Parts: sequence; structure tokens; C-alpha cells
Amino acid sequence: MWLACPVRPPTDHRTPQNRASMTETSLTVAVIDPSPARAAILEEGLRASGVDSVAVIPDGPGLQARVAALKPDVIVIHLESPSRDVLEQMSGLSRQAERPVAMFVDRSDQTMMQAAVDAGISAYVVDGLRTDRIRSILDIAILRFNAFARLQRELEEARSELADRKLIERAKGILMARKSLSEDEAYKLLRRQAMNEKRKIVDIARAIVTAADLLG
Amino acid sequence: MTLTIGYVPLADAAPVVAAAELGFARDEGLDLELSREPSWATLRDRLALGHLDAAHMLGPLALASALGLSGPQADLCVPMALNLNGNAVTVSNALWAEMAPKRDALAEVATAFAAVARARAAEGRPLTLGTVHPYSSHSYQLRLFAQAGGLDLDDHVRVVVVPPPDTVDALRRGLIDGFCVGAPWNAIAVAAGLGRIAALGCEIAPDCPEKVLALPERDAAFAPALIRAVHRAGLWCADPENRPALAALLADRAGLGPDKALLARTLGGTMILDAAGTVRTAPDYLRLDAAVHRPNPDHARWFAAQMVASGQAPDSGLAERAAALYRPDLFDAATGI
Repeated sequence: MWLACPVRPPTDHRTPQNRASMTETSLTVAVIDPSPARAAILEEGLRASGVDSVAVIPDGPGLQARVAALKPDVIVIHLESPSRDVLEQMSGLSRQAERPVAMFVDRSDQTMMQAAVDAGISAYVVDGLRTDRIRSILDIAILRFNAFARLQRELEEARSELADRKLIERAKGILMARKSLSEDEAYKLLRRQAMNEKRKIVDIARAIVTAADLLG
Repeated sequence: MTLTIGYVPLADAAPVVAAAELGFARDEGLDLELSREPSWATLRDRLALGHLDAAHMLGPLALASALGLSGPQADLCVPMALNLNGNAVTVSNALWAEMAPKRDALAEVATAFAAVARARAAEGRPLTLGTVHPYSSHSYQLRLFAQAGGLDLDDHVRVVVVPPPDTVDALRRGLIDGFCVGAPWNAIAVAAGLGRIAALGCEIAPDCPEKVLALPERDAAFAPALIRAVHRAGLWCADPENRPALAALLADRAGLGPDKALLARTLGGTMILDAAGTVRTAPDYLRLDAAVHRPNPDHARWFAAQMVASGQAPDSGLAERAAALYRPDLFDAATGI
């Protein structure tokens, strides 16, 4: 157990600890992410790359016990997770931690760290794990998280585009009814007004819809 | 000039929140954007990597970040302190009943706690206490609280980190027997009927250094204006007349609601200790006043000593390296003292 207690003593926190023997394929990776969808995407990515044991652990008061029981070699955690501070306490500074965990990636690798933080990731790694192993896991996490962010952005854009189109349709409908215009004429009127005012068509449409709502 | 300033939602974030929201920054030509951070670790990393321009930060964590003890090493300095005190140790109602101290005073309470902690450790089911981060005055105050009762915390008690907003739930679920956190979370646990405030931070360690304003040391051309803005905001926060307005600001902007009366009471140092409504008045419970703003290198030395005592860092000139990160000269230059 990581947190069997009271446990005497290890070690100055700087002393490297020998890990139990670990082969390349026997890694256990824990994923902690307030977004279940993003966690699932990362979990899938890690499995696809051959990590055989991946567990998603939810944030919350039960997290510490779950992590202690799982004893992961690597924890990939989203920067938005409030549980990061929980892991910092578990990670080797405390005398209670039997398996010290190093902070972050190789500290000398600024580029990697920057890329990880930009993607919203931090990682806690058991001391002694090979750097290339850590790096390959972080690479996967960065790729997956960036892809997720891109998808989300695209979805958001698609949503707002759809909303814009609906607004323009409503504004056209209002103009057609009030001014007895055809659909084509209504659209041209919107476009001309937008050009005159140097605004977007959707802004003019919003103003018309708002005014119509207010004035009945 | 636009600056992003990180903070964690706590009562002592008041000076930076007020600087950003009440025009103190604008008066200095700064546009302060508040960035609420989900954890101290994330705040530390985002400050170290330049995503934040400045931050409301645990004093020990600012030092640990700059000294390369926690996270990526960052070139930080501390040109201002935000407050002294503000923490308390709260225990579950069950633990308080078991402790049954003879008198409600620190020595007796700590001794009663030590007795229960020893008994529980001997039974192989040690007490579990929560703190907020390894590098925090909260962690050190837990150790000092135990010491006041003659107990070595490390030998007898399991210490875990619980994010402050989770403390009430963790207490309810019996995952922890008590915790040391900052305002207003102790008062919230008491109000929820789940805990008993056992000791105030200002009783365990009078005028204990707490949060600081941390800045990157390089290219901080904005530093003087920011220091002035936060200093003036801090003075506003410390004025008792502004307490209701500050409580409302913290509730709305820092997510510390919804109980504004509880916040205002806590800011004034009126602490309700238990479900029966026992009140303790401690004007120094949370000090935001003018006298605390100038960063005191002795505070950095004290933090360094606590780090060494906790086994967090070796004692190789740590105190002086820490003291050098506190920059009263920057504070004086900015505020014209």
C-alpha cells in the first residue's frame, strides 16, 4: 500500500528508490480527468498503444484510496482536476508514501513540459520509470487531448453556426410577414443593411428578432 | 496593460479579487484578469510556465517553486504578503467527543488530541487529518498543533490532502477525522453541523505567514503598478466598514457563497466553533491590514525551517535562499515608503 500507516521512514525525498522489477508491458496507468469523455478518449488511446492496464479514476473524496489500491506507475491528470494537490501529498514528500513518485516529466525537458501544460496535462510518475516510456505516454496524452480540444472547438463552431442560421431564418420570416417580401427579398434587405452598417448579417438578424420580440 | 492573475477561491484571495474587480488595478493602468485555478499545483505550474503573470499563492509553495522543490523550477519573487493567519483546525464531532478536553484552550485541546491520536495509532487505525498542499502553512500548523500536545504528527497520524471545497464532504463520509484549511471552510463545516473548530491558526502560531503575491522575477515591468493596486485593494479589504461588500464580492466572484453573513462574520474574526453556537472572537483570525503587506524575510526563514522540520528539504542554507526571494525592496519602491 502507498498509504499504510504509520509507516517508518524512508528516505530523504531526493534519494532514488529502486522499483520492483517492471517490464515494458506491465505498466499501469491511471487517468484522472473531470471530463469523462476526454478521459475515455485517452484511455482508448493508451490501450491502442499497448498499455495493458489503464484505469480511469473519478475526482472526489474517494480518489486517494483508489489510487493507493491501484498503485499506478504513471498518473496522467488533467490540469483542471482539483485532485492534483492530493497527488502531490501522495508523491513521495510524505513519509507515508512507500512508493515515491517523481514530479512531472523530466524536469530538464522544458519543451515537453510546455507542450503538456498547453494541452492541459500533468503527469506523476513512479521514480525509476524510464524516460522514453514516460515520454511515449505523454505524447499519446498530448495528441489525444489536443484532438479532443479541436473536436470540441469544431462542435462549438458548428453549434453557433446553426444558431446563426436559425436566427437569420427567423429574421427573414419577420421581414416577409411585416413587409410582404419574398424570402429572397428579405435576405437581400438583411444583407444590404449589414453592408450599410458594416456589421454581420447575423447581428442585423438578431436586432430584428429582439425588436420583434419586444414590440410583439 | 492586461495581466492574468491566478487565485484559488479562499477568503485571503480578497486583495487580488478586489484589485481586479473594484477598480484599484484600473487606477494603476492595469487590466487584471482573474483566473480561478482548480488546484495549487496547477496554479504553480501555470505561473512557472508563464500562463499566469502573477498569483495569490501559498507562501511555502511560492518558495518551493522558486527553489525547485515543487514542480518545474520557476524564477519567482515575493514582493508582497497578502495576509497573516486565516486557518483553523476543525475536527469531526465524533473526534471532539472522544477528545473531551478539560478546557477549551489550545494546550488542553492539543493534549486531548494527542491522547486520542496515540491510542488510535496503537490500535492500528490512526487518525487521518486533511491539509491543502504539502507546501502550506496548514501542513506546518497541523504539526505544531500536535507538538503543542507533545505528539510527533508523522509517527501517529495519517496526513492527506483534501481540496478545501471537498472538506465538508470528506468529513461527512468519515474519510478524514479533521483538517486544517483556510477561511471560510472551517466555518462552513461547523455550519453544516459536521465539525468542531478545535484551534484557530492564530492560536497555534500567532501571526503566521500565509498567502503571498508571487511574481515572475524576470521582466516584471508591471510589478510596481500591480503591487500598488493590490496594496490599496488590501487596505480596502481590511476596513471593517467594507466587510459586507467584501463578503458579497467573494461570494459572487470567488465562488465562496452562498452564505454572505458567514463570510462577513469570518472576515471579522467572529468564529462559531460548534453546532451549539459557542463563539470565539479573534480579531486576528484573518489579518489583511496594512501592517502585513510588506514581505518579511523572517517569514521566509520560518517557512524554510518548517520545510526542514517536515523532511521536505535538506537544510543546506535553505533559510537564506528562501529569505532572498522575499523582496521588501520592491514593495518599498512601489509604495513609496
